[in-house]
Amino acid sequence: MIVDARGLKKSFKTRARRGQRGHQIVEAVKGIDLTIGEGEIFACLGPNGAGKTTTVRMLATLIEPTEGTATVAGHDVRAEPAKVRRRIGYVGQAGGVDENATGRAGIVLAARIAGMTRHEADKRAAELLAAFSLAEVADRPVRTLSGGQKRRIALAIGLVNEPPLLFLDEPTTGLDPQNRANLWDEVRALRERGTSVLLTTHYLDEADALCDRLAIIDHGLVVAEGTPAELKKQVAGDVVTLRLADGAAGRATDLLGAQEYVKEVRPEDGVLRAYLDDGEHRLPHLLRALEEHGIAIRSIALDRATLDDVFLRHTGRSLRDAA
Amino acid sequence: MLKHTMLFLGYELRSTLRNPIWPLFGVLQPVLYLLLFAPLLANTGAVGASQAEALEAFTPGVMMMVALFGSLFVGFGMIYELREGYLERLAVSQVWRPAIVLGRTLRDVVQLIVQALLVVGLAALMGMRADPIGLLLMLLLMAVVGMLASGLSYGMALAVRDENGMSQIMQFFAMPLILLTGILLPMSLAPQWMQTVALFNPLYHAVEAGRALFAGDLGDGSIPLAFGLTLVLAVLALTWSVRSMRRLAG
Repeated sequence: MIVDARGLKKSFKTRARRGQRGHQIVEAVKGIDLTIGEGEIFACLGPNGAGKTTTVRMLATLIEPTEGTATVAGHDVRAEPAKVRRRIGYVGQAGGVDENATGRAGIVLAARIAGMTRHEADKRAAELLAAFSLAEVADRPVRTLSGGQKRRIALAIGLVNEPPLLFLDEPTTGLDPQNRANLWDEVRALRERGTSVLLTTHYLDEADALCDRLAIIDHGLVVAEGTPAELKKQVAGDVVTLRLADGAAGRATDLLGAQEYVKEVRPEDGVLRAYLDDGEHRLPHLLRALEEHGIAIRSIALDRATLDDVFLRHTGRSLRDAA
Repeated sequence: MLKHTMLFLGYELRSTLRNPIWPLFGVLQPVLYLLLFAPLLANTGAVGASQAEALEAFTPGVMMMVALFGSLFVGFGMIYELREGYLERLAVSQVWRPAIVLGRTLRDVVQLIVQALLVVGLAALMGMRADPIGLLLMLLLMAVVGMLASGLSYGMALAVRDENGMSQIMQFFAMPLILLTGILLPMSLAPQWMQTVALFNPLYHAVEAGRALFAGDLGDGSIPLAFGLTLVLAVLALTWSVRSMRRLAG
């Protein structure tokens, strides 16, 4: 177990605003349990403001939990933060790279801080720069590099001490699709080397494509946890999205809900989502039933259920709307 | 601990050397004061008749200006670094956190000494003659004042965390500091009440000490007073910024 967190809570005091007396307490994280196995890629998925980043910051020893305990890479975050820091890498949302220095200088400094000699640090920097295809831009100031290159430098710095656990907070936010795909490859390569990764994201496809297990976090609580496949199985394999004639939604919900092969029906502004397994074969039945009852269909789509459907099931709203 | 401080000093110095244009630009203002204001001062007859005498009185003030204004604004960069998550990342590394501030402060001191040497060199070309031991002590005093100013600046940056707020505060302090130190004109020209107020300004004593040092009056009482005052304040300012850095996040 590389991360074992029990009942983590964090509340912040906000500054008193006009018209209010004293401080207000904001509970960012309301009691989160997380266990992450060695070598696992684990994602915290949730909308902005769900408490993902606060959770990661507690586990990375940046802030102290208000309540709860956490063991990270074998050490308690509260009792032995220095020992935790020795064994983790952390890449924050903003990247955390000094823009005025060169990428190489940044990596070498990080390596020296981690205790390497000048020679070892130079060697490690060259290694990382080559591994992340940064050799050509290594001696340019970071501010002149592209977003994707900056992110790779940040990743290289996070890995400088060969940590068994790497934190990636929103690693692909703001990257174009090409760079996103590249970064996913880098993260997968980490798994091959046995590095555990805890990443936060509000992209469904990212959590789905990248992680072994994930926790869906909303309003400071874990609302679901498991492998992407397990979680999706909870809802159903497929989802049929129907757009119906006005006023037909109520009748259609009742009708579809009564079909034995439909697991669940959810009306969601203007559309109806019916969850079912083996959609390809069941779709004709579904169409026939609607036709028999004279319900006109404006459009229909059959998709594989996604993590958004899982999110919808647990929180009652779509992740796309929740942000 | 010392090792980390030296690491940051080296790193920051290399960063500065990569872009030496900014510190050079920074020394331009004091240089212009020397070129454009010193002759003016000489003609007023307030500090002696000759240009050399005027320079002897004015150069220590300009050097204090270098020490003060070169270092007072260094914190702005730190606010940017906070926002970029750079300091946050350092905070989860194995770094000894005070080194982040101390390394930078030392870099600021090195930079201002180089700038001061440029100013003194120019003043010498213009005809100023300073006592050599006095000059060395003056550089030391500048280093202390620079530590005070940059410690204050980093502490302020970590406390305020906002460029706009910080620039307002700095502007507010900068103006009376210049006028009440006698950097531009000697305080002996000021009315009695201003002279009394100036006594409570540690930098006034630093400038007075600088004048005594340049004149070679090494026994002047203003010298130990200036060293003592600025040293105590520098230690306080550095302690503040180091403590803010320790509490960087949570």
